[in-house]
Amino acid sequence: MADVVTVGVNLDAFSHAISGIQALRSSVSRVFESLKDGMKNRETLEGREKQFITEFQDNLQAVNRDLNELERLSGLVGRPSESHPLHNSGLLSLDPVQDKTPLYSQLLQAYKWSNKLQYHAGLASSLLNQQSLKRSANQMGASAKRRPKVQPSTLVLPPQYVDDVISRIGRMFPDMTIELFRPNGTSAVLLVTLGKVLKAIVVMRSLFIDRTVVRGFNENVYNEDGKLDIWTKSQYQVFQKVTDHATTALLHYQLPQMPDVVVRSFMTWLRSYIKLFQSSCQRCGRFLQDGLPPTWRDFRTLEAFHDTCRM
Amino acid sequence: MGVTCVCQVPVAEGKSVQQTVDLLHKKLEQLGAVKQGSFCVDCETYHATGNVSGQPSKLLYVMHNSETPLSCLALFEGGPCLVADANFDVLMVKLKSHFQNAKGHKVECRGSRYRYCDFLIKVGTVTMSSSARGISVEVEYCPCVVPGDCWNLMKEFMQSFLGTSVPELPSVFVAKPEGLFAPADCVDTVTQYLELFNKLRKLQIPGSNVR
Repeated sequence: MADVVTVGVNLDAFSHAISGIQALRSSVSRVFESLKDGMKNRETLEGREKQFITEFQDNLQAVNRDLNELERLSGLVGRPSESHPLHNSGLLSLDPVQDKTPLYSQLLQAYKWSNKLQYHAGLASSLLNQQSLKRSANQMGASAKRRPKVQPSTLVLPPQYVDDVISRIGRMFPDMTIELFRPNGTSAVLLVTLGKVLKAIVVMRSLFIDRTVVRGFNENVYNEDGKLDIWTKSQYQVFQKVTDHATTALLHYQLPQMPDVVVRSFMTWLRSYIKLFQSSCQRCGRFLQDGLPPTWRDFRTLEAFHDTCRM
Repeated sequence: MGVTCVCQVPVAEGKSVQQTVDLLHKKLEQLGAVKQGSFCVDCETYHATGNVSGQPSKLLYVMHNSETPLSCLALFEGGPCLVADANFDVLMVKLKSHFQNAKGHKVECRGSRYRYCDFLIKVGTVTMSSSARGISVEVEYCPCVVPGDCWNLMKEFMQSFLGTSVPELPSVFVAKPEGLFAPADCVDTVTQYLELFNKLRKLQIPGSNVR
């Protein structure tokens, strides 16, 4: 209760001022008492009148003195701090019934909490802004009206550039062959054959990886028309799992400004599947869990884990 | 078509062939495998006639596998293998003069087929002239085509329901160079079955197996 109002108040002068008030009250009540009592008994009328008047004057002077003293002391007391933490609502602290209406303390807690929340939200937003989560290369925050009509440059790359990047990446890894098709317009569709383990179909949008489907080495990649079948899931559960993981990977590796680095990281990650059936899980040491080999590859260390064993 | 391994399971102590097979079925179902019909692999033996006298006549084995019902395989033990249409049987009848059917040497393996995740497991009873000779288990890991890669994986799986009677790497795979792509016409599977049948046939001589 008193913890708010103590700033800036001179407690000593305060207590003196309170006793000054008491003194003033007693001198005022003395005045009225003497008036009530009236004139005391004396020999002559004049003597009585004179004594009454003297007494009255004394009392009034005492009142005057006490009042001056009080005024002096109240000047010393000082003002309670102007900067209430809650301005007017701080006055709620002055007349509480703490048990039944803990309004003031709850109010303080609510304010402290919201201040902390604001601070943390500010920190979080500055951290999140550093890592752009948008997969397109648009500038962030621009409203629809202010967004430039021209598409950002990384989305419109000449097909020749895309071909070059892909062929360069294909040459990097000897056990992985990448064939590039353009069945529907300018979007490239890659057929990645990894050793004798799997075949992955990667659908791109300029140099951004859009979708991927992973199938076994002995499964058919072409449909009846002879075109690449980019929709059918694998018939084997292990490759269905690997497809899910590959989709997670293509969402993980993101750098809107440098898409060729992204493609290279994704291919490096995919290449770790060359030992899909040979590796045991790094965590439990076994080969099989629910009939599946370790299908998860860590994004940084490329270690093999079972889907249920990954940390 | 994946990597297949055919192995023989010894009959459990004090139990009949049928009981051991039932035990295996139960273990598989406990693991979570789902039964998907039945299978049959059979083998007929033909003697090659008209050879140079003094040399043992070569045996031609004609085998069928329900996994590839429209095909028929003809092979010499350790020799070349021919994959033909189902009409090949009729052709063999026509070739009676060159190949004589050794009746009574027909071996059959029948049983149920289970599927667990990407594994195909076939537990069968090998019968020769209607007497049960042994139990065969075939495990196929469908997604993989390179036997050397997934052998450890398959061994771990077989251990989970066969216990201790887990075989070594089949000789068909050892003979081929590491990392060879198993072809999709089940020649390797059938070769393994043939080895198993011949082994069981040889076991007949000391006395019949447990009934």
